[in-house]
Amino acid sequence: MNKRQAIAALSLVGFFLASYLTLYKLGYIGTLACGTGGCETVQLSKWGDFLGMPVAAWGALFYLAMCAAAICAEFEWVATQRLLGVAMTLMSGWGVLFSGWLTWLEIARIHAICRYCVVSALLVVVLFVLSVREWRELRAQGELRAQREG
Amino acid sequence: MAKQTVKPNTSGNFVGILVVIAVIGIAAIAYLANGKGSKAVTVDPNVPAGAAQGYLFGKADAPVQIIEFGDFECPSCGQFATVTEPDIRARLIATGQVAFTYYDFPLDMHRNTWAASNSAACANDQGKFWEMHDRLFEGQNDWNTQATKDPVKVMKGYAKEIGLDVSTWQSCVDEAKHLGRIKGNRAEALRRNIQSTPTFIIGDKMVPGAIAYDTFKAYVDSAATAATAKGAAQPSAKAPATAPATAPTTKGAAK
Repeated sequence: MNKRQAIAALSLVGFFLASYLTLYKLGYIGTLACGTGGCETVQLSKWGDFLGMPVAAWGALFYLAMCAAAICAEFEWVATQRLLGVAMTLMSGWGVLFSGWLTWLEIARIHAICRYCVVSALLVVVLFVLSVREWRELRAQGELRAQREG
Repeated sequence: MAKQTVKPNTSGNFVGILVVIAVIGIAAIAYLANGKGSKAVTVDPNVPAGAAQGYLFGKADAPVQIIEFGDFECPSCGQFATVTEPDIRARLIATGQVAFTYYDFPLDMHRNTWAASNSAACANDQGKFWEMHDRLFEGQNDWNTQATKDPVKVMKGYAKEIGLDVSTWQSCVDEAKHLGRIKGNRAEALRRNIQSTPTFIIGDKMVPGAIAYDTFKAYVDSAATAATAKGAAQPSAKAPATAPATAPTTKGAAK
């Protein structure tokens, strides 16, 4: 499995995790399977929404976009691959910052830890590392190809 | 020319992995949504309630008796109280189908919830438990553990808003006059092995979670059918067997 495939697979995992939280937030699931009890506190706190949408829904969209970008990058269309490499790096970089802010809120403001949010934050960090490495690899390949063609 | 194909040596495995993740993901969500975490379990509706004393909303002899074990600081309870409960009051309680009794189940993780239970119990002395109940849940983010270390100050504002005699209410709160009652309600929740808040007892079903109105109504219909089948209009979820020192607050009784 190459890095793009790993990004797609992990993003899909993240998508289902975020979808579960979104369904809870929208009232389709009665209780969250959360032993610590902190998940509901976090989800239903005033920071549970962002720009009029549940934070978890933003997360689901983010993971879906990452997954789609990684799948598209599997196609050997060099220019698009490089562009997608940049896009994945930027998206996951933003995801790391956002997750960091959310984790800080959980610790410093909400005083409750949601285990799903912790898993999501770790996923985003892994996605960012993979995206950076993928981007650098694609850039190197592109430069090599340009040298050959030149 | 660019080849718009997935690499043949890995594409099969890759697609297979994505499909497996998708199947597991959908199955996991379906299991968690309908699994034991939120599924109703059958309980004995005739278990005596000990020394607990809840707060009644509706007609005491309504065909279906519903008990809620709630925590004023629990976000799910707040969600239920502000989103679903108004419909239940309008469609089920006001029509005389249902009597709804609230029992405190203050959880250890919520520092300010005891103050809220105390505030509501003291409002009950002046016949305004449900007004305070509603105000507490509406303003949960203003007085919860994350918001303040002095929740009573915020609740005092609510006492004024709902028209209580504030000095009487304040004395009651300061004395923790109803601490015994709240502890009794909590002990009742523990005795019934309530695992989370809110938890509802509707007929012979114990249902955890801030369930939606349609789900709630389905349980009520089921309980009503069972009550009718038994040929008795007696309550299906038994009220506390031990007579309370004072009569439970009754509100919204259908005529």
